[in-house]
Amino acid sequence: MAHRWGMAVDLDRCTGCEACVTACRAENNIATVGAAQAAVGRAMHWIRVERYWEGEFPDVRLTFRPVLCQQCDAAPCEPVCPTYASHHTEEGLNAQVYNRCIGTRYCANACPYNVRFFNFFNPAWDKPLHLQLNPDVSVREVGVMEKCTFCVQRISAAEVQAKADSKPLADGDLKPACAQSCPATALVFGDLNDPESAVSRLSRSSRGSKLLDDLGTQPKITYLAKQA
Amino acid sequence: MSATSDRRITDDLLRPLLTTTARFYLLVAFLGTIVATGVGAWLYQVYAGFGLTGIRWPVFWAFYVTNFVFWIGISHAGTLISAILRLVNARWRRPVTRCAEAITVFALMIGAMFPIIHLGRPWLFFWLVPYPNQRGIWPNFRSPLVWDFFAISAYLTGSVLFLLLPMIPDFALVRDRTTGWRHRIYGMLALGWQGTTKQWHRLESAMHVMAIAILPVAVSVHTIVSFDFSMAPVPMWHSTIFGPYFVAGAIFSGIAALILAMAVLRKTLRLEEYLHPVHFHNLGKLLLLMSLLWGYFVFAERLTVWYGNEPSEMAVFNATQHGAFAPLYWTMVVCNFVVPVSILSFKKLRTIAGCAVASSTVLVGMWLERFLIIVPSLSHKYLPYSWGTYRPRPVEIMITISTFAAMSLLYVLFAKFVPIISVWELKVGAHEAHPVPAGELSDDAQEMWRPQP
Amino acid sequence: MKRRSFIALTAVTGTSATLASCGNPEHQLIRFIPDEEHVPGVAEWKPSLCPLCSAGCGLTVRIMEGDAEIIRDGQTGLIKMGLAKKLEGNPAHPISQGKLCARGQAAIQVTYHPDRLTHPLKRSGARGSGQFQEISWDEATAQLIAQLDGLATAGTPRALAFLHGPSASHRSDLVAAFLDRFGAPPALAYELFGDEVLRRANLVSFGRLQLPTFDFASSRYVISFGADFLGTWNSPVAQSAAYGRMRQGRPGVRGTFVQLEPRMSQTGASADEWIPIKPGTEGVLALGLAQVMMAANLRPADAAGRAGTIIEGWNRGLPDYTPPDVERTTGVTAARIERLARALADQRPAVAVVSGAPLAHTNGLFTAIAINALNALLGSVGEPGGVSFMPQIEPAAGPRTAADRQPGDAPRTLSSWAAAILGGNPSPVQVALIDGTNPVFASPGSWRIRDALLKVPFLASFGSFLDETSMLADLVLPDHSFLESWTDGRPESGAATAVATLAPPAMRPLHQTRAMPDVLLQVAGRLARPLNPPLPWQTFEEMLMASYAALPAPSAEADTWTTAQQQGGWWGGAANVASPAAGSRVPAASRVPAVADRSQAAPRRYAAPQFDGDAAQYPFHFLPYASQAFLDGSLAHLPWLQEMPDVISTAMWCSWVEINTQTAARLGIAEGDVVEIGSAHGTLRAPALVSPGIAPDVIAMPVGQGHESYTRYASGRGENPIRILAPVTEPETGALAWAATRVRVSRIGRGDSELILFAGGMREHPEHER
Ligand SMILES: Nc1nc2c(c(=O)[nH]1)N[C@H]1C(S)=C(S)[C@@H](COP(=O)(O)OP(=O)(O)OC[C@H]3O[C@@H](n4cnc5c(=O)[nH]c(N)nc54)[C@H](O)[C@@H]3O)O[C@H]1N2
Ligand SMILES: Nc1nc2c(c(=O)[nH]1)N[C@H]1C(S)=C(S)[C@@H](COP(=O)(O)OP(=O)(O)OC[C@H]3O[C@@H](n4cnc5c(=O)[nH]c(N)nc54)[C@H](O)[C@@H]3O)O[C@H]1N2
Ligand code: SF4
Ligand code: SF4
Ligand code: SF4
Ligand code: SF4
Ligand code: SF4
Repeated sequence: MAHRWGMAVDLDRCTGCEACVTACRAENNIATVGAAQAAVGRAMHWIRVERYWEGEFPDVRLTFRPVLCQQCDAAPCEPVCPTYASHHTEEGLNAQVYNRCIGTRYCANACPYNVRFFNFFNPAWDKPLHLQLNPDVSVREVGVMEKCTFCVQRISAAEVQAKADSKPLADGDLKPACAQSCPATALVFGDLNDPESAVSRLSRSSRGSKLLDDLGTQPKITYLAKQA
Repeated sequence: MSATSDRRITDDLLRPLLTTTARFYLLVAFLGTIVATGVGAWLYQVYAGFGLTGIRWPVFWAFYVTNFVFWIGISHAGTLISAILRLVNARWRRPVTRCAEAITVFALMIGAMFPIIHLGRPWLFFWLVPYPNQRGIWPNFRSPLVWDFFAISAYLTGSVLFLLLPMIPDFALVRDRTTGWRHRIYGMLALGWQGTTKQWHRLESAMHVMAIAILPVAVSVHTIVSFDFSMAPVPMWHSTIFGPYFVAGAIFSGIAALILAMAVLRKTLRLEEYLHPVHFHNLGKLLLLMSLLWGYFVFAERLTVWYGNEPSEMAVFNATQHGAFAPLYWTMVVCNFVVPVSILSFKKLRTIAGCAVASSTVLVGMWLERFLIIVPSLSHKYLPYSWGTYRPRPVEIMITISTFAAMSLLYVLFAKFVPIISVWELKVGAHEAHPVPAGELSDDAQEMWRPQP
Repeated sequence: MKRRSFIALTAVTGTSATLASCGNPEHQLIRFIPDEEHVPGVAEWKPSLCPLCSAGCGLTVRIMEGDAEIIRDGQTGLIKMGLAKKLEGNPAHPISQGKLCARGQAAIQVTYHPDRLTHPLKRSGARGSGQFQEISWDEATAQLIAQLDGLATAGTPRALAFLHGPSASHRSDLVAAFLDRFGAPPALAYELFGDEVLRRANLVSFGRLQLPTFDFASSRYVISFGADFLGTWNSPVAQSAAYGRMRQGRPGVRGTFVQLEPRMSQTGASADEWIPIKPGTEGVLALGLAQVMMAANLRPADAAGRAGTIIEGWNRGLPDYTPPDVERTTGVTAARIERLARALADQRPAVAVVSGAPLAHTNGLFTAIAINALNALLGSVGEPGGVSFMPQIEPAAGPRTAADRQPGDAPRTLSSWAAAILGGNPSPVQVALIDGTNPVFASPGSWRIRDALLKVPFLASFGSFLDETSMLADLVLPDHSFLESWTDGRPESGAATAVATLAPPAMRPLHQTRAMPDVLLQVAGRLARPLNPPLPWQTFEEMLMASYAALPAPSAEADTWTTAQQQGGWWGGAANVASPAAGSRVPAASRVPAVADRSQAAPRRYAAPQFDGDAAQYPFHFLPYASQAFLDGSLAHLPWLQEMPDVISTAMWCSWVEINTQTAARLGIAEGDVVEIGSAHGTLRAPALVSPGIAPDVIAMPVGQGHESYTRYASGRGENPIRILAPVTEPETGALAWAATRVRVSRIGRGDSELILFAGGMREHPEHER
């Protein structure tokens, strides 16, 4: 059975700790852009923890919401890409082929979630920080778009390994970096085609909803509302 | 009278081609420097990185795409106007058509550069082009950017033909008036024009076919440019009004550009006898009509958004109506509506100067309109956490300025090497107004003009 | 040709150009031979230990082969070696449970930091000028030995001081043993956001000089007094994991969480109910809750036992803490207090947590004791869903305590230590060694630590970076990074079982650094007057082996030492601990204090917190807080953390000052404006962040930025709020009362993009909110 990878984000567990943010950066060779570039909106965070204020002091609340690529089944970023750099894989992932991207930035405009980030300059790692780079993930050059891949390198590695071991992937065998690090287990990743997987069960929760569902993007990420 | 008038027409209109003043060189040098600076700025941007621009998350399109839409819009001056005027056989069109068609071609050339200028990796721009390649993949035909490629290339080809066809008899005229290298070059451009009845006939039918064919192309071009926006689920982009709204805006700005170009040419090339106040008067009426139409579109668009009260759209609406973009927005309204309507509604004010003033503000206003369609929406997409704003940086400003210089430069050169008013069409106009027996035609006219069967 | 010799050869080829000039090519060859085989592209996982905070999370390190440019004996060469690529939580580790916090994820950048010191340095300019020159390890150790020999010869071994961060590990045991045998006073531990007050309170209430461990996973109600337990305090990863389970880990049961604090912290943001409270009155609120429970017979008064009775009036049902009384003191309404008390008593297991600012007042110890009493009353001490104390393993070198102090020694708090140096003639400290603490940055300017350190005639640092403290050193002996050396730790809290984390080096050293414990052992072996008795180990590894071998073995076949290296440590349940299996040392029940706490006898009573600065002149409470990214500033050098948006402000790469929306409006301050914060001890300027989540009379500022010297990423960036703090302390512990300073605020002008925010909007539905 083909996989259909998805995620559940439990907002009742998320503590806003941003372990996911740094874990993703570490796993996926996301460059830091430095203070000057960050100040002009060039910082890249494939996953971010949105925070929203409600009310005024003293009756004030804050809510956190981790936002990453929603791996939309009807992804607006895909049809607009003239070079198929943003495209749909057989497993339903929204893949980004950096080599094919020519930097029109159209996909980023079309993405309602603003989860696509552009390399405004060639990324640089002050030596020897480059020794940390994950050899399983290509680094991007100036002028290309990048975004959360659902840690596709981990997915492929696990699938290849499972094939080599001639045994199916078990639920939980495979975690993207953000979910693996998340101390509160707010991020649960797995196969939506397996009705018994943790992510499938959570996605059916009555607390579940999709972000900007009304846009018809059919995200594969389900947000589980904070229980009051 | 006709003979002398024919000769005078020829003399007047060919004068700029045959005599070169110091002023011309100065002007070319001045404009050329600005254009060269713009090219340099772009090359530096390619070298140093796209980050030199003010583009940022989440405003990924700004000045460059504004310029793209603006110049493609301007290109609607010519072809549309002259095609329509040709088809309805408006007599007053004759001195106007070539000016207009030239604007089209140059504006398109400039506009078409922006999809390349704005690329993150412009050296790979040819990946947008559908051709069988070693990569074994076609571009994505679902992408409006690829539609742009088809639309713009078709439009450019069509408008170049549309401009060139009626230039053939004039090239022949220049050929016969010159010697040496000029003679040879204009000879080649004249494509062996002899002025035979058959040739005239073919030219007329070709023009007629082109005039019909170019209309849907022109309409489709700006519709497709509007699709670059309306196909994306971005607040206030995703709207059915965008096609006609963009086409109307394009024609609007196109006419303004034409009026301005004509006013300038009239003064500098001393074409007062050919470009009459009535021409401006008529174009002014057209501009007024488009201004009203534009106002109607904006009103319709804004009203539905406001009434619909959809949160994500309202964020954009508020930002433009009374937020950070309001100063630009209201400047746009003044430029595109208040000024042109107040001037052009009054016959007395619809003078050459009045039309030129109105056209100038319309050009400013339409540029702002393109900007205000793009930037506020991208600044205010659905998730407020990801809102951001945009500020242009020097490289974008320089390149923008240089496009205006490039337009002027191309126009100056064009007027230098090609009669900016179609000589033969003007003569036809003169003869239609005052028919003369064939025998009394001047030599020139005999050569050039044989009445159609 | 075998792979290994081939690799050696390629490495040598790379350096052959410079080889001609060097003494012994044979030596080079050996240096460059990789000592382990890696299959390219295939990852190996090795255990390690996160060094960034005292939580002590166990890691696994992803190691892959890579080419590193390395200098060995003055020669540069490209060498194939196993390189750390990614850190994950060690799933077997009882504290990290396979998870890591954001800082732990960035710990890998410590190893690869471009400004890491790569070789020993000796001062070449004036003290503090920052001018150093590279020297060899032989020269460096010789210098240190000469200084120590000088003390021994002069008969002043007690003039040796050792300053480090607080952590229980063999590293600190070794330091303790060294100092003891050298004849020096025990090491002085300093940490800005140290928990001395809470430890002392636990000693007073429960007889445990230790930080608590919480079983949130089984709690039904958590009430926290200013504790950032999901962010920066104690054992954030373990606590967050438990929190996640408390919220959604039990079918049908969702624990409730209430936070009381004057500025919404990351932890407070997750609360179901966030209650602002007057700074320094948290203890009163806790007693108010207890009063309601006792008055309404919701909980038996004697349930609290000793933890309750040490509070004045407890046995009388706390008559001074009725809800209206408490409302007057705390600003929390009486009705709310009643409701909270009933909910707590009703939804048990319930647990109260306190740390951070509430304890950083002059009455901090009382506050902690009051909350301990509340926990005791709730019956949650040592119970599931409550608070308990993690079993501890006794240190190898034997516990070092206050009893070792002698009359002439420099005192035991950093402030008094510095004062003694500044006041002494000559300085009571002649040689100071610094390891893993940066007191020059992390202490109030009024303590004059910098001046004190400059007065110490010889200062050596084991730091990996030139921070504000090592800048003052005469000698810098850069340590390996944690990934390059043996690491171990005995976390104080975070799990139900005793834990000793242990890891061998995960990769070979990148630079010419040396592990501090090995340097210390080497120095010890070469002193003119040997230590008495000499240390029994030649290397740190030997020490660890000896110690771990003595722990109970997991099974008859497996030996503890090997197993611990493989799984990243030793951990066992209480039963395991008690088993008399192999060890001479079985884990002790607690860190038992060596001296009876004399102060325990006196009943405790609330005293209003004392603030520095006149309320009229300095109208605002100043609340510095541990930043999500940098904690006390020790992590500001890591670019990933600099660029990580603070989750509440979304700020990156900068300092900011949080001001209440109304207050800002009143003072004409807009977001991004530069404001000046002035205390009686100094002023600073930073951009304002207007926030609805802070009390109108409080100004908050994250600690972490404002480094003068701390690598290219942190130096000269932002402002350090600690600098302007008043030297107010909690009287019993001498701990810095870092929340007891009052300040004034004035607008300076429009900021020039000093405030770097990631987010655009503050509110999800801006149209409806405004
Ligand atoms: N970023 C990025 N990654 C890529 C590619 C890319 O273009 N960009 N290309 C991909 C492709 S197509 C390929 S084939 C792979 C190539 O990836 P690798 O196989 O890793 O290729 P190299 O890094 O060129 O060479 C590997 C090492 O072999 C050593 N070597 C040289 N000669 C010998 C020899 O005789 N024996 C032995 N044992 N070792 C030798 C070299 O010193 C070098 O360090 O990379 C893939 N990965
Ligand atoms: N100096 C030097 N030369 C080398 C090597 C070396 O290490 N050093 N390595 C050698 C090795 S191992 C290799 S494999 C070769 C690699 O050499 P090439 O095969 O030439 O590899 P690239 O140039 O990286 O990529 C080929 C082209 O594929 C295009 N492309 C990108 N995506 C797609 C797609 O989806 N479909 C199609 N059809 N095309 C796409 C890219 O635009 C690019 O033009 O180089 C060899 N040459
Ligand atoms: S979230 Fe954005 S980038 Fe991701 S698939 Fe959807 S549209 Fe594309
Ligand atoms: S930026 Fe790259 S991925 Fe996005 S649409 Fe353009 S070519 Fe495609
Ligand atoms: S799934 Fe992977 S790529 Fe996506 S946000 Fe998580 S760590 Fe980053
Ligand atoms: S790591 Fe988990 S808990 Fe922390 S911010 Fe990310 S999703 Fe939330
Ligand atoms: S809590 Fe974070 S910083 Fe502290 S030890 Fe654990 S992972 Fe490291």
